[in-house]
Amino acid sequence: MTVRDGWDAIVVGAGHNGLVTAAYLAKAGMRTLVLERREKVGGLVGTVEIADGTYAPTFFHTVGRLRPIVAKELGLYDAGLGLVAPEVRAFAPRVDGRAITLWSDPARTANELRAWSPADADAYVGFDRRVRALARFLGELGDMTPPDPSSPTVSDALRGILLGRAFRGLDRKDAQALLRYLPMAVADFVAESFETDSLRALLAWRGVRFTAMGPWSGGTTQVLLADSAGNDGGAAGETVVARGGPGALAEAILTAARAAGAEVRTGAEVAAIRTRGERVVGVALASGEEIDAPVVASGVDPRTTILSLLDPMAAGPTLRWRAGNIRMPGTVTKVNLALSALPAFPAAGSGEDGAKRLRGRIVLADGVDALERAFDASKYGRVSDELVLEATIPSLVDRSLAPAGRHVMSIIAQWTPSTLREGTWDDAARKTVGDAVVARLATVAPGIDGLVTARQVLTPGDIERELGPAGGHPYHGEPGLDQWFAWRPMLGLARYRYPVAGLYLCGSGAHPGGGVTGVPGRNAAREIVGDRRKRR
Amino acid sequence: MAKRYDAVIIGGGHNGLTTAAYLARAGWSVLVLERRHKIGGATTTEEIVPGFRFSVLSYVVSLLRPEIIRELELPKHGLEILPLDGTFTPLPDDYLWRRDDHAWTMREIRRWSKSDADAYEEYGHLMAEMARFIKPILGIVPPDPTSLDPRGWPPVASLLRDFGRLPRAQQQAFVGLMTMSASDFLDQWFETQPLKATMSASGIIGTFLGVKSPGTAYVLLHHYMGEIDGAFRAWGIPKGGTGGVADAIASAARALGAEIRVDAPVAKVLTTADRATGVVLESGEEIAAGTVVSAVDVRRTFLQLLDERQLPGDLVDEVKRFKFRGSSGKVNLALDALPSFSALPGEGEHLRGAMSMSPSIDYMEQAYDDAKYGRFSRKPYIDMIIPTLVDPDMAPPGKHVMSCFVQYAPYHLAEGTWDDQREAFGDAVIDAIATVAPNIRDIVVGRQVVTPLDMERTYGLTEGNIFHGELSLEQLFFSRPVPGWARYRTPIRDYWMAGSSTHPGGGIMAANGRLAALEILRSRRQKAA
Repeated sequence: MTVRDGWDAIVVGAGHNGLVTAAYLAKAGMRTLVLERREKVGGLVGTVEIADGTYAPTFFHTVGRLRPIVAKELGLYDAGLGLVAPEVRAFAPRVDGRAITLWSDPARTANELRAWSPADADAYVGFDRRVRALARFLGELGDMTPPDPSSPTVSDALRGILLGRAFRGLDRKDAQALLRYLPMAVADFVAESFETDSLRALLAWRGVRFTAMGPWSGGTTQVLLADSAGNDGGAAGETVVARGGPGALAEAILTAARAAGAEVRTGAEVAAIRTRGERVVGVALASGEEIDAPVVASGVDPRTTILSLLDPMAAGPTLRWRAGNIRMPGTVTKVNLALSALPAFPAAGSGEDGAKRLRGRIVLADGVDALERAFDASKYGRVSDELVLEATIPSLVDRSLAPAGRHVMSIIAQWTPSTLREGTWDDAARKTVGDAVVARLATVAPGIDGLVTARQVLTPGDIERELGPAGGHPYHGEPGLDQWFAWRPMLGLARYRYPVAGLYLCGSGAHPGGGVTGVPGRNAAREIVGDRRKRR
Repeated sequence: MAKRYDAVIIGGGHNGLTTAAYLARAGWSVLVLERRHKIGGATTTEEIVPGFRFSVLSYVVSLLRPEIIRELELPKHGLEILPLDGTFTPLPDDYLWRRDDHAWTMREIRRWSKSDADAYEEYGHLMAEMARFIKPILGIVPPDPTSLDPRGWPPVASLLRDFGRLPRAQQQAFVGLMTMSASDFLDQWFETQPLKATMSASGIIGTFLGVKSPGTAYVLLHHYMGEIDGAFRAWGIPKGGTGGVADAIASAARALGAEIRVDAPVAKVLTTADRATGVVLESGEEIAAGTVVSAVDVRRTFLQLLDERQLPGDLVDEVKRFKFRGSSGKVNLALDALPSFSALPGEGEHLRGAMSMSPSIDYMEQAYDDAKYGRFSRKPYIDMIIPTLVDPDMAPPGKHVMSCFVQYAPYHLAEGTWDDQREAFGDAVIDAIATVAPNIRDIVVGRQVVTPLDMERTYGLTEGNIFHGELSLEQLFFSRPVPGWARYRTPIRDYWMAGSSTHPGGGIMAANGRLAALEILRSRRQKAA
């Protein structure tokens, strides 16, 4: 097979998964070209200068879900990646001045919980152990290519999973619990172990973060467990930052991909994926340039890939209808603040521990009902009056991110639905939500509003426009059980292949989904390389 | 000591009676013990207002298993199902009226949306296919997925094989049904609010979930499952109220030799060395039996009828966390005339089917929001039926009864108690109906408000859950009632479960009672062999 440009594979989109795919393909000897619309790589995993010398995370502010095997196989540490894990995982200050802190050491967390509830303190370590055990299984599940339900061996495959090594590795109690937990509402899951509402909310938050679901929605326990999969997050969750900002992770993968021989072009927007007959033959850029390759891997979300990049004739009406039904209701607004000084959180207390508490994720959710009420508003296309926030202060962990004495704060604000019932995400709406975020922060960090020297607000509309994913959904598709495993993003596409020969999914829209793991990219590359061997 | 029975059944609801009938049919000597003065449990007809007879709780039959009707010859024992034609969704100034007449329904939906009418046909075919595929699961004893024990797997493997053979679009639809919210699922097809809201209602009945909650879509299948049972038309109201179903099964059981005692509340299950040997009644009377079957809910089965120290600790934990949290109430009205809807005034065929207070998805979801925070819905979803239009004997001549199933009415109220709130709740229901049928206040001559607390106190439905435990995904199939104990057995030998807490759940199906009986008989044969 001769190809004019000599490429074996084109990867569309240089988000972290696209780069991971390219690195693995190049390592396998494929001549690989990555095409990125923006001027810089990384997509939602990036670093942006929001004021002179002040660098904030483009979107994701922690990268602790990166699967260690990806870092190892691609040599990311040699490529310059440095990860820092603060002692504190999460800190939840309340308006009344009390707070809950989840330390990376479960015993220490349990010890502090005793002030809230001796029963909760006693339950915490066991809960953490169980989350780790179940998450380990989900991590292994994430590394596999899901079975195809249409293959005659599907029942064997599913039974194989249930009886497989990882599943059997769980003790019987955990295994039975897993099947019960996956579809459960995370509010129920945490309520089975804990009585303190603030603790429940802090843990449950991870089951709803980045989703259009509330803590009472079924399937959110699966989101929480998946959030712990493949890292040592446990119950508290990961809080790992990349030295130099999240963009440094993308840069490290870029370096690894280039070292393996991949070429990466930025400012190169793919306008169409070209097909001939039933096969992919390359891509066409917005500039009109055509590039040929027998393999195209799309890191773009599957809805956009099918509806915008693929020729309607090649996709066919059924696939297009199904793609239109991929649920991508983004609900997150990203706010970055440049601060003239470190804000004071009275609930953190003073002394060394007080300073430490601010180094993890700072979660503002006063209780499970508060989470649910914030979600309620989004159901009816409204922005909640009581936003739930997760903030980090990256400059506390990495001084290079802001000038001396100054700080940068990164905030995820939820639920701000991408589709508003009244109005659109215009400048006024953007300002309103930005103001609301700062006002909410001021309830636990009085005076923070006076410290803000620059503010950047990315609404779901901005995220879609500037960073790509339809609906502004950071996970390239809702992580509900209806878009999970063998049916993520939909049945028939879960094995990383579109129904057009040579076209693959390699982004977060594919199993095991979003969250900066690098696993969809790694799995996709494995399938692509495997198919290539078969053809030979 | 009195006679020793082969089996005693605790609870004379439809499942307990069914188990009794099947065991008697196998030649066992069987005694059913019912706490109340009459059999039926939640499947009961009672005269609350003089001259007016109500199906107090459950009021329609849709999934009563045809094999049970056949095997127990229930029509011979008086079972007669009167068909209900269609569903009428009133709005203050318009309505959506779907009937069994296909052409009529298509015209009516087209009046709202042409694309919905097109989709409706395709959707109907798809759902019928889905129902045909999934229906066998109602007859499967769930396997334990964590056990290497091969029993129970073959039927599941065959279901998976069948799944693999479905066209891709049907596979996808099935996955959607099992995981999505009813609202999201229907959004793929339809735009008309009253249509989507009325269809979605089936997904939330008896659960503490909203139409936008993931996991509510699968109940959309139930209606179609009832439809395709074919020979025996199973969607309708039993003549004489739902008590007629219980009476027919009881009559069949008696004919097969079973004895039934009412006013016989069981206090405890008697055990010797981890084996059930009989029961003791609250009166102190002891009754010996080789097998004891509990048809009451799982919490009562384990925590009330046994001592928790007799059980493994983790089972006790699982039972304690099994979710009941009832979400519905019932308002039964005695009427001296028929309601008149402002959008379609006067009498007419539309009163002869189900009438559904479900104008929009938002209305349904907001009703749920109230419940989440511990309030009954100020604007509830209401499913109304006027049985006297098809079964005039239920009320004096010219008078009517109207059955209103109401959701949401959370068992746990944030403020006040149900004893204080009962009448306010009843008023909210009347007020909601009055928005579409203004004459309702004038025609009510008597009413019975059944709160979740009443369901618990009077009918033994823990926390007022009409299905003996929520039908949410984590409490279905091999996790129902609790993981590891989905096969009707308990850790106490010769003590079995047969109520709606077991697979396949609640509703007047009676499948639980039959499957339990078949498992008991199989285990006895194995022991004998």
